[in-house]
Amino acid sequence: MLLIRQFVMEWKLYSRDRVALFWTFAFPMLMLLGFGTIFRAGSTPSLTLVVAGDVPGAQELLAALDKTPVKPLPLAAAEAEARWRKGDTAAQLEAGPAGPRLKVNNYLMAQGQMTAQIVQQASLALQVRQDGHEARFLPVALESPGHGHSENYAAFLLPGLLGMNLLSMGLFSVGMVNVSYREKGKFRRLAVTPLPKWIFLAGQVLHRLTVVFLQAGCMLAVGYFAFGIANQGSFLLLALIMALGSACFMSMGFALSGFARTSEGYAAISNAFFFPMMFLSGVYFTLDSAPRWMQQAVVALPLSPFLKILRAVFNDGTGLAGHGLGLVIVLAWTGGCFLLALKKFSWA
Amino acid sequence: MTRTERAIGTSLALRVAGLRKQYPKVLAVDGLDLDVARGEVFGLLGPNGAGKTTTLEMIEGLTPPDGGVIEVLGLDWRHHGAEIRARIGVQLQSTSLFNKITPREALDLYGSYYPKCRGSRELLELVQLTDKADAFHVTLSGGQMQRLALALALVNDPELVFLDEPTTGLDPQARRSLWDVVRRIKAEGRTVILTTHYMDEAETLCDRLAIMDHGKVLTAGTPMGLIQELAIPSVVELAFAGAAPAPEAFAATLGQPVARRGDLWEIPTQDPKAMLPALLEAAEAAHIPYQQIHVRRATLEDVFLHLTGRSLRD
Repeated sequence: MLLIRQFVMEWKLYSRDRVALFWTFAFPMLMLLGFGTIFRAGSTPSLTLVVAGDVPGAQELLAALDKTPVKPLPLAAAEAEARWRKGDTAAQLEAGPAGPRLKVNNYLMAQGQMTAQIVQQASLALQVRQDGHEARFLPVALESPGHGHSENYAAFLLPGLLGMNLLSMGLFSVGMVNVSYREKGKFRRLAVTPLPKWIFLAGQVLHRLTVVFLQAGCMLAVGYFAFGIANQGSFLLLALIMALGSACFMSMGFALSGFARTSEGYAAISNAFFFPMMFLSGVYFTLDSAPRWMQQAVVALPLSPFLKILRAVFNDGTGLAGHGLGLVIVLAWTGGCFLLALKKFSWA
Repeated sequence: MTRTERAIGTSLALRVAGLRKQYPKVLAVDGLDLDVARGEVFGLLGPNGAGKTTTLEMIEGLTPPDGGVIEVLGLDWRHHGAEIRARIGVQLQSTSLFNKITPREALDLYGSYYPKCRGSRELLELVQLTDKADAFHVTLSGGQMQRLALALALVNDPELVFLDEPTTGLDPQARRSLWDVVRRIKAEGRTVILTTHYMDEAETLCDRLAIMDHGKVLTAGTPMGLIQELAIPSVVELAFAGAAPAPEAFAATLGQPVARRGDLWEIPTQDPKAMLPALLEAAEAAHIPYQQIHVRRATLEDVFLHLTGRSLRD
């Protein structure tokens, strides 16, 4: 009875906290909608190629770009130079000593390189045709590792965001909140009442769990209705994995909160865990191009194996087979953090 | 234990004997003894750092003592923690609540933690917060927050109420309104133990008080009794326009101790009538640039000064 009351109160107060509601519910959904739309497969964003002044011999090349995402933008030489200096130009075609040449802005590598490559291909195809042949491009299929999804980057991003949500819930909604309760004397106020402390914590944990599941439900709905992404595996398994992740990151929050006296101290400690996991665990992109030692180090942190398992179920509809080591790593972190939390968590 | 002893034992709301608390670098409480009778308002008066809050925390069961005896309502924390918690009310020096909880919700919530609880409406009326019943905590003024904290301390209809510096940081009007609430709590028949470093507060609220410094009780009694015990019931004050000059040379000339406090010199005396002419003459001769002269009766402040050689607010 007391527990239910405590749980209901947590929800009531939480629902009044608009900032928390925004970051917990609206923000991940906006991320998914935003990135999912930008990187929608098949609709490669259009790329601009500035053509500076009169470039002799470029006429046919520009015509050959017609069916590519690259859109030529002819400008007078002075205008093109001004645009380049402002830093707005990613790639530019200009007259060189031996015919047209490309210039790529090294601050806008991603767009610039992509543009340059497409122009390069068009140029090669043109040369082949001038030699009397027709260039043939190899067909490309977009597909996930488990052959499940082929439509969209959003399908990769969605499980990543679900994992991120668990991480930030554990480290901030649990860890940070409890440090500030202790710092501000809220725990002391509770300690002079007969309320058993476990009821207070259980109410908090129950509340966070329901938030996590509601949040995941919203994300799945956005994924489904905006991008047609659906869970390929069993929902029960998905829920169990989410529950395991919640246990892991909540324990981590409780454990870390035992190491800091003040909110500032906690921010430093938790960020040391949060940022490496956020950037290096494959939430937004895979780390294929990172150095090997870094890839191996990151697997030891729980978020990376957790996301692999989550994606295997959600995107590829497979079971847990083949993810034994990953499961062991996540379980070990969960158990370790839980024990550490029992030892280090304090009320005063 | 004889029958009378038991009767005496249970008529005490609080008995503390030989209480000690050693922190790594400081002996915060050093053999403290206190007896508080049921139904009285008892004050712990002392400067910041005297050990008042540590003492209170040990009595409230928040901090384990390193030695000594604590009996709250005749019960021992080690055996009857739950029962004591249910029968005492505690206002901590700072009460932290959610920003967006309303006074009514806070009272209902904390009330639900106890086997017996008073209605929020009645409590809100008692602390004059009825018109703020549904306002978010974050929008209350300092005085209103303190009154809510006080109401929370009363939510379980406690026999014994602890108030730790209830008026620190409040403006004079808010302090007065809080005093009224404390008087009402006493009128309801509860025992109140409060700490303060305001002597006027101790004098106006407390039936009895103990003056503390360096973790010990220096003296205890009724406010009037303590003042009268002081052999020097009057104080002559010389007021200066700015900060008062160093008084040592003048004290030597006068042959009387002279204390400096802010823009005042204070000269305690048994007989102001006899002392004044000599004082005026000496001040004239020494060209002391004082602006005004007052004679007042001694206060608890003077008792403290007399006992410790320091002012309460130092």
